[in-house]
Amino acid sequence: MSDAARAFHQRIDAALADRALGDALALTTGRLAGGRAAAMAAFADAEAARDEARRIRAAAIARLDQLLERFEREATARGCRVHWAETAADATRIVTAIAQEARVTLAVKSKSMVSEEIELNAALERSGVRVVETDLGEFVVQIAGDRPSHIITPIIHRSRHDVARLFREKANAAPEDVADIPAMTAFARRTLRAEFLQAGMGISGANVAVAETGTVCLVTNEGNGRLTTTLPRVHVALVGIERIVPSAADLAAVLSLLARSATGQALSVYTSLISGPRRAGAGPGPAKGGEPDGPDDVHVVFVDNGRSRLLGGPLAEILYCIRCGACLNVCPVYQKVGGHAYGGVYPGPVGSVVMPGLLGLEAWSELAQASSLCGACREACPVRIDLPRLLLEVRRQAAAKRLAPRWLRVAMPVYAAVARRPRLYRSAVAAAGLLGRMVAKGGWIRWLPGPLGAWTASRDFPAPATRSFLQQHRLRKEAAR
Amino acid sequence: MPRPSRVQFFATCLVDVFSPSVGLAAVAVLERLGVGVDVVPDQTCCGQPAFNGGFVEEAAAMARHTIDVLSRSPDPVVVPSGSCADMIAGRYPEIFDGDAVYGPKARALAERTYEFCQFLADVLGAGLPAAASGPALAYHASCHGLRGLGLRAQPRAVLRAVAGGRCRDLPDAEVCCGFGGVFAVKMGPLSGAMLESKLDAVEASGADFVVATDLSCLMHIGGGLRRRGSRAAARHIAEVVADAFAEDRRE
Amino acid sequence: MTGARGRILESIRSGLVRAALPSAEHAGVPDAKAGRGGSIEAMVERFGAVLTALSGRVHRAASPEVPALVADIAAAHGVRSFLAWDETELGCPGLLEGLAARGLARVDYRMPTDPDARIRLAQALEPIGLGVTGGHAAIAENGAVVLVSGPGRGRLVSLLPAVHVAIVSERRLRPTLADLVREEPRLLDAGSNVVLVAGPSRTADIEMALSHGVHGPKHVHVVLTA
Repeated sequence: MSDAARAFHQRIDAALADRALGDALALTTGRLAGGRAAAMAAFADAEAARDEARRIRAAAIARLDQLLERFEREATARGCRVHWAETAADATRIVTAIAQEARVTLAVKSKSMVSEEIELNAALERSGVRVVETDLGEFVVQIAGDRPSHIITPIIHRSRHDVARLFREKANAAPEDVADIPAMTAFARRTLRAEFLQAGMGISGANVAVAETGTVCLVTNEGNGRLTTTLPRVHVALVGIERIVPSAADLAAVLSLLARSATGQALSVYTSLISGPRRAGAGPGPAKGGEPDGPDDVHVVFVDNGRSRLLGGPLAEILYCIRCGACLNVCPVYQKVGGHAYGGVYPGPVGSVVMPGLLGLEAWSELAQASSLCGACREACPVRIDLPRLLLEVRRQAAAKRLAPRWLRVAMPVYAAVARRPRLYRSAVAAAGLLGRMVAKGGWIRWLPGPLGAWTASRDFPAPATRSFLQQHRLRKEAAR
Repeated sequence: MPRPSRVQFFATCLVDVFSPSVGLAAVAVLERLGVGVDVVPDQTCCGQPAFNGGFVEEAAAMARHTIDVLSRSPDPVVVPSGSCADMIAGRYPEIFDGDAVYGPKARALAERTYEFCQFLADVLGAGLPAAASGPALAYHASCHGLRGLGLRAQPRAVLRAVAGGRCRDLPDAEVCCGFGGVFAVKMGPLSGAMLESKLDAVEASGADFVVATDLSCLMHIGGGLRRRGSRAAARHIAEVVADAFAEDRRE
Repeated sequence: MTGARGRILESIRSGLVRAALPSAEHAGVPDAKAGRGGSIEAMVERFGAVLTALSGRVHRAASPEVPALVADIAAAHGVRSFLAWDETELGCPGLLEGLAARGLARVDYRMPTDPDARIRLAQALEPIGLGVTGGHAAIAENGAVVLVSGPGRGRLVSLLPAVHVAIVSERRLRPTLADLVREEPRLLDAGSNVVLVAGPSRTADIEMALSHGVHGPKHVHVVLTA
């Protein structure tokens, strides 16, 4: 097993041993998955909506280059600056340069998975820009020096007591500020409001980009997305190149499923549709007669970071993803271990495809082994991504690169060779029957050696039958004649 | 399709090796329902473990053998396993998509391959005897049959027919038990954790037996119940149906 | 970084040539599911039910009643000054006069371009407790009000204060966002910032316990006018 795989298994073990985490996961995923189920049940034509959303995303990916070019044209015409980043390093360089050019010393951020992926905060801090996360969960993650464990609700792994302690220890909260959850929320609001008011730059992600008007669509429940993209003079939006649709009608179709799939809400509280900086009026000067507020500069940074490479390969379908998190909430594995166990930015079923796809098999293919292929994720996905098929593809690629454990690499070809030779197979089955009779007690085996010991660690194993089914059936037929 | 007079029975490797009584029960039920059953002696394994592990060549080799073995006769194939039936009916055509020889064979085989309850309910519209008295049963929905083949209604219909009043609700019946094939040993602790939840549900249901279409799930759940010293045990749905026929015969 | 742009687009194009993408049919125009929202009354009721469930408040009033209504809301929250869209944008003639007459002081603002002046102004606006906007439309299915930024229609009015009152004509109700977009395909172009606001700001990040008024307003009142 590689070091990365071993570390993954250790994280899983640690997560399974953490009872508090298990309870928190059961509560949160239960609520979110239940919310989704109820919302979809109540949504007329839910299945047709999923078909339509899939068609929209599939058609968009099939014309991705044209859509990105159209977006660039339309956004530029409306006053945006559009940048293209091939790698994570390019993206952080671009954003750092924007901050420097605008003499920014404080940036506020609303939640952006892409920004985590490219490790933007660290790069900005190194260049002298203080970065403050404003999504409540991400704020907690930031002051804890931690990582988010879910792509929608980042602190699924933290209790209210954890948060209270962190606010006291790291954010100067007084005891009354952390007396209960409403108090903590109010404390976060006050603390972060001060930052919002002073920030020179707001950094956001984008839930969906709309090509025909150069629009960035950003959804939040808290309102930090609005404040981030309204108060500071400069707004930078990080957009994964695959997160785009052609038109407003397409956007409406995707939005009808996004919040429903994520949390069960019909719509997030705030859906911002940003098409450039604030518009000037007829008079001289940028503000005369024009909009009273809004950013003066809007930058959109398209981030590739391996996505275009996925396009030409068998994992391309994962690019349809709209990052709703539904697959995490219904995954029986995620429900047991949570996001940190996966070890990367994207956990759960989608993460198990995206991490190896974007960042390499050697370090990440083991994630795709942590699945029973039950298919719950495919059932929940609003754009009907066949996640089990993609997980199998990652496994195929891993097996081809000899990343599977040695015992399997030996056992599988042997098994296949035997299973193609019926006489040999029958002998093997008969041998199993013999062996079974020798080691079993009352038809069950309590201990198996080697890798098979992983079974008997938590379950008994049935003894092979003394006579196989084929044998018994044949004997019956003969007796009947 | 018109009611077939004969079927081929693909026992599956697990039934063959670990639980022949499941195979014998399924064959007995089919014969009681007036369907002749052929058990091709050179059948082996559908190749699902290799396929799920990403071992394409090995899976294809076993698939070709299985296709050959089941294609000598045009009779429908009945499989006492949702996952193996899904492998043959769902995955074989994908594996051999573009293969000039095995592509058409795989598609033809897929068309006439059924999981056991699917065959009873959808093809035979079976008249099954109701056994009013007997153990309390709770149904666990094996994942590949459920989400691969779409087996939501048929197993429950079969169970309702033979054991109506004795069925108990299994909480989270459609949540994976954690078997997952090689996953059960490759990711042992995780598999065990998922199993614990399923065992809790079985015990909460008050059922004497947890029933499923797949022996794989039942070996895993049954092994866990035994390890816990639970009074509940696992039983394959074919055996439950055969029990009902036996009960019926006695009356 | 035009080199990067070209390389990314080229990478996409060559990927698409190689691609074996599942079902890549073009989406085309979605089916015209003609407005199933029904009558205005039905939409008012649905909107009201949804927004109330989100902890927002819905009022129905004729235009002349609105100033008193808004003043009452202000009084309930102990507010003496407020931000507002320009009178012409509120869709309620005489509202600002009416509020002035009841002792409420409107604070007009325009964000300067100078960064320091901008910060000072933002800090000055922060303590104001009420914002009054109009509304471009409202969506019955999800309780959202659609606000389009523009001259005389500041974004901060519906965002900074703890209380937001939106005045929308009930004739601007639509069943779904898709219906609104079908009717107004250029909606996204109507302003540099179009926002849908569905009730008060909320979070459940801590132990799935619901709290309101995180970063946006804690109290949202929608006044539907005839």
